[in-house]
Amino acid sequence: MSVIARRIAAVPVRTSVETWRAIADLLAPTTSAARQQLDAVTNVGAMLVAEEYTALTPVIVQPASGARIRIYTVHGEDAIDAQAYEQPLASWPLDQPGWAISLPCGAVDLDEVRAALVGHPAFAVRDVADGIEAGQGDPQAAGAAALIIDLEEMSRP
Amino acid sequence: MSTAVHVNVITYAHTHVATNLLRSLKQLIQGSGLSAAKLMDDWVVLELGVSTWLQSRHLRGLVLEVLDPTRQGNDLVGRFDFDIDYGYYADGDGDLWLDADTVGFVIRKNGSYPSRCAYRVIADTAPGYPRVDGWSETTFRSTAGFVRQTAGAAIGGGSLGANLSYYARTGS
Repeated sequence: MSVIARRIAAVPVRTSVETWRAIADLLAPTTSAARQQLDAVTNVGAMLVAEEYTALTPVIVQPASGARIRIYTVHGEDAIDAQAYEQPLASWPLDQPGWAISLPCGAVDLDEVRAALVGHPAFAVRDVADGIEAGQGDPQAAGAAALIIDLEEMSRP
Repeated sequence: MSTAVHVNVITYAHTHVATNLLRSLKQLIQGSGLSAAKLMDDWVVLELGVSTWLQSRHLRGLVLEVLDPTRQGNDLVGRFDFDIDYGYYADGDGDLWLDADTVGFVIRKNGSYPSRCAYRVIADTAPGYPRVDGWSETTFRSTAGFVRQTAGAAIGGGSLGANLSYYARTGS
C-alpha cells in the first residue's frame, strides 16, 4: 500500500475557506461530480482548517483505487514557505466513484461536525486524538468506507 | 532576508485576522454554552465578508449578539465586540498572534447562557463598504441596561489589532 502526502499553505497565506478550496483543487477538477461534493462541505472543511486540526493530523483521502493521500495544512509563518513547495497530484484521485475522505476534528467539535456531514456519506470525521487511524469509533465512517492505515505495513521496506 | 518575511507577514495580516476572528467567535459561542452549528453553517459567508472588509479597511468591528427568544421586548442578553484597530501595531515586527486566553477570560467573567439562546454576527462597517453576497443590513439591539467591559487585544497581525469587549447587565 502506498501513501502520498501533500502540504497546503493555510492561514495567513489563505483564509480557511481559501485553504479548503485549495485542497479541493488538489483533488478534483472544478466541473466534476466529486468537486461538487467537496464544495458542499466547504463550511465544515474551512472550520476544521481554521481550528488547525488539519495541521495536527491529515485529511485522509481514500480513492476508489490507487494510493491513499494525506493532506496536511501549514499555518503561521511556515505557511509562507510552504506555498512555494505545493505540488499537484499526478492524477485526479476522486475521478472514480467509491472514494472516501476522513476529516480530523477536535473532541469539542465532533458532534456538530458529524451532524453537519449527515447527507454527505463520502465524508467521515475522526477525533484528532486518533491520529491517522481513520474511521475507528465513528459510526458514519463505518457505514461508508472505513479507513484503517496500517502503520506496521507502511514501515516495511 | 528577514525584511522580506516581515513584508510578507504584513501582507497576510488581514487573512490571519479574518480567520481568527471567526475562530474566536466560535470559542466565545461554545464557551458560553451555545452550539456553534449555526456559525459553522455560515462560515463561508462570514469569512468572506470579514476578509473583504478588513482588506478594504471598512470593517470597524465584528459583533456577536446573544438573544433569548423567550424574552419580551428587547431579547438581547449578551454581546461581544471585536473592535478593529488598523493602527494597532504600526511600529511592530509584524508578528501574527491569537490570544485565546483573552477570549477565555471574557468567557469566565461573562458566564454562560441557556441553550435556548440564539445568536447573530454583525459586521460594523464604514460607509462605502463593498457588497458581499449573503450579508444584509440590520441594526444593533439596544444595549440599554448593559455596561461595556473591555478585555484587551485578542488578535494581532501587522498593524491590525482586534480588541475584545463584552457587555454585562448593569448591577449584575
